[in-house]
Amino acid sequence: MMPHTHTHTHTKEPDDLLRLIQFCKTVQSADIDPFELDVKSSLSILKAYIKRWKSIDDLLLDGEAISELTKVIELQCKWIRDRAASFYIDPALIELKLRLMEPVQLASVLLKAWHPIVSLDSLTTERLKQSIEYWNALLPLCERRSALEAEPIPEAGVLGLNDLLSLRILSQTEFKEELASVENELKMRGKTEYYDFVYDTDNFEDSVRKAYLTSYLVSEGRAELDIEPLEEKIFITHGQREGVANRSVPLALSYEDWLKWNRKKRQEQNAK
Amino acid sequence: MEQEEAARTERKVKKAAQMLFFRRHNLPGVKGWELKKALGDDFMEIIEVLNSIIHKLGLEVRRLREDEAKEAKPENDRFVVVLKEQMTDKASGLRIDELAMLSAALAYIISKQGKAPRKSVEDFLADKFPRRRVTSAIERYIRQGYLKEDEKSLFIGWRTRVEVDSKTLMDLILSS
Repeated sequence: MMPHTHTHTHTKEPDDLLRLIQFCKTVQSADIDPFELDVKSSLSILKAYIKRWKSIDDLLLDGEAISELTKVIELQCKWIRDRAASFYIDPALIELKLRLMEPVQLASVLLKAWHPIVSLDSLTTERLKQSIEYWNALLPLCERRSALEAEPIPEAGVLGLNDLLSLRILSQTEFKEELASVENELKMRGKTEYYDFVYDTDNFEDSVRKAYLTSYLVSEGRAELDIEPLEEKIFITHGQREGVANRSVPLALSYEDWLKWNRKKRQEQNAK
Repeated sequence: MEQEEAARTERKVKKAAQMLFFRRHNLPGVKGWELKKALGDDFMEIIEVLNSIIHKLGLEVRRLREDEAKEAKPENDRFVVVLKEQMTDKASGLRIDELAMLSAALAYIISKQGKAPRKSVEDFLADKFPRRRVTSAIERYIRQGYLKEDEKSLFIGWRTRVEVDSKTLMDLILSS
């Protein structure tokens, strides 16, 4: 890939640079060995061109080539790191060994390399108490079933801001003020658990209102939800990261959960 | 004053042990921020004290970074207690054939730099076990955290990174 010796103009871009950029992109997207690209000779191509660059377009092309080269170098680093970390051994050799081993041998080698997590399950008095309360509050299945059958299930719908305004649940000024107040609170608290944020109110109605305003902030890109699937927790922060894909997340609120949350909060305060 | 401090530390160490030994969520282990919330800002020191106690029993607290994208600080990591030394007897409900499938799947994926198409892993295991059992075993390993899956490929899961000494596993397979 030697540079061409033609005089560079703004309208004609050097083919070898375009080819270089294209090749870098192919390496990144097509799972090709990143060492297929000779970085040193690619840099000498760029170096050969550097004195000829005049216009912004020239510099942009040069910048793009450098940027793509950098990404390939990053892939080369990752390639080396992965092989070093996985004690690179020919996969075909491992496959052959594994095929020759008996299941008992396979189990035995895993046991020798295994340091299992110690994790116990145990009932606590508090948990037992909660389960008894749950049991006592639970209606027999036949009653629940008949209740479910008797009640027509309302069609799910979404109330928009305009609906709330027309129902006079909110006024335009009030809405803006409340939105700013929720946003300020979120800014002050920093990253916080979603339910800690919306349930921290004096009554359940306020929590519902706060959840609605929060969802508005999220839709507007003024707040961001961060879901931790392992912990099954949802966090909310003010502001939004760039380049994060938008998606809808349904979040349920219930009066029972609100009661539980506030009871727990009171207990924690009393303990202090 | 010193006695008060010692009693306080002892209380916190007990609390840390309870949190780490007993499961609180679907997955074993505790997040650093949970420990910080329960034990205070000096939670890493408490973990060190606990570690020195359980070392004598052949156990240790291990810290796992779950998300490379997040800032490297203890609050973002997962803490688990693991068996420090080699197991001397059965310590899991897994059957021998399930262990064999897990062992082969891990070694196969590790040899492919930590990523292999799900179909190729299934085909490989199906050489020795019925395909129906292979599919359900892989699903279970994913649920348990030993493997991770995206649309087409299988990867090494967080739990394998904590529990399995990959180098020892590969050395043992090569020397078998």
